[in-house]
Amino acid sequence: MAIYLDNAATSFPKPDSVYRAVDATFRNLGVSPGRGSYQLSLDAGRLVLETRETVARFFGIADPLRVVFCANATEAINIGLFGTLRPGDRVITSTMEHNAVSRPLHALASHGIEVVRVTADAKGRIEPGAIREAAHRGTGPTRMVVMSHCSNVTGTVQPVEEIGTWCRREGILFMVDAAQSAGILPVDVHEMGIDLLAVPGHKGLLGPPGTAILYVAPQLAPQPLIFGGTGGNSMSRHMPDELPERLESGTINTPGLAGLHAGITFVTQTGPDRILRHKTALLERLCYGLRSLPGCCLYGTGSAAQAGGVLSFNITGRDPAAIGFFLDEQYAICVRTGLHCAPDAHRSIGTLPSGTIRVSPGLFNTESDIDALLAALENIVRKREGLGL
Amino acid sequence: MINDDQLLALFNSPARVLKAEQILRKSALSCRLVPAPREVAEGCALALRFAMSDKNLVLSELARQELPPQRIYRKKKGLFQKVFPLQET
Repeated sequence: MAIYLDNAATSFPKPDSVYRAVDATFRNLGVSPGRGSYQLSLDAGRLVLETRETVARFFGIADPLRVVFCANATEAINIGLFGTLRPGDRVITSTMEHNAVSRPLHALASHGIEVVRVTADAKGRIEPGAIREAAHRGTGPTRMVVMSHCSNVTGTVQPVEEIGTWCRREGILFMVDAAQSAGILPVDVHEMGIDLLAVPGHKGLLGPPGTAILYVAPQLAPQPLIFGGTGGNSMSRHMPDELPERLESGTINTPGLAGLHAGITFVTQTGPDRILRHKTALLERLCYGLRSLPGCCLYGTGSAAQAGGVLSFNITGRDPAAIGFFLDEQYAICVRTGLHCAPDAHRSIGTLPSGTIRVSPGLFNTESDIDALLAALENIVRKREGLGL
Repeated sequence: MINDDQLLALFNSPARVLKAEQILRKSALSCRLVPAPREVAEGCALALRFAMSDKNLVLSELARQELPPQRIYRKKKGLFQKVFPLQET
């Protein structure tokens, strides 16, 4: 049985309740929700509504109908950015962003949107003062600040509450990519001043892939990226103004959303703080072992307690890709190596072009999994295993 | 499907009509989701059916929850008559 330590990519395995919910819904309620008027379709629609309400409660969202379901967080971020920003707008972001944010912004820059990237320090932290300074530096007003809550490379947790509160005061839209934080760190759109929130369902919320949410604040009406059927007003050639349908064309993934509902319920019952404590304890154990490993360099804050469940490191003189390959080949240990789709973040912490070895334990990992990883790394480093690979 | 003196509320959104149904049921107000007849909506809309006698209670509860219907029709002598809003804005 492989040891899976890549939960920052997607959490695996899921709680049994998630598998059961997906299976039962797919078998018993696998119809198009809220489209037909027959009872099965209405029941599927009610299940989707219940999931919206569960999501809304989890993130402090007052109106569940402003929770839009997407296929993944990347789609949610694209809708938020392309649907809201217009030529002439100015947007502030950071150098710690995943390509899910960086690439849409790069594309928007060629459509007359000014993109300003605030540089992180070597630990991956973005200073709120640097955001404020960048927002005021331009000739025109800044329309939006968009940033991740927690880095997928270093686990560095950004001060989003401070930045969001300031954005609200200044009338600047605040969009947060909570891909790494949702389910382990508190995320409350009201308290954090968040206008657009993108969250995958399949990471910390423990749902299946193919599920994600976009929260849209009441004053916003993003343009859709996808146009099509929404289950009502069918004679009109225009998309409806109402959310969520305006941004939810096509058949909704009801079995996946049933799984997401079960995942959030599991996280709520377990307690996000307890989940974070478990991951942190495992990473502290890993940090302790890595510090005695010759040539090991840890990135980020250097403290597992501030790492948001993710730890990146390198072994001096060794290619992280080769170490990852050897861990998989010889020890069946799954870690992520390379740039983790966040090249700017690696530029910030000085790990281009090879990237890092990233370990992200999940709720179901144990101390023995970390000990197995450390023992394997000991062999690789001290016995110089894998050099020929 | 709809009898005389029953009302039909339209919301122009499947998610909203389902939410409205949930709100009314939580308030113990009897209602049922039905396909909107062609006389009141083009295409495949859902409508919320309830009794004429509950009209004020339904409207006040939906207003309290900030989910007002787009339109309400009353069936009378086999014909649908718009009763809310009385004038289009």
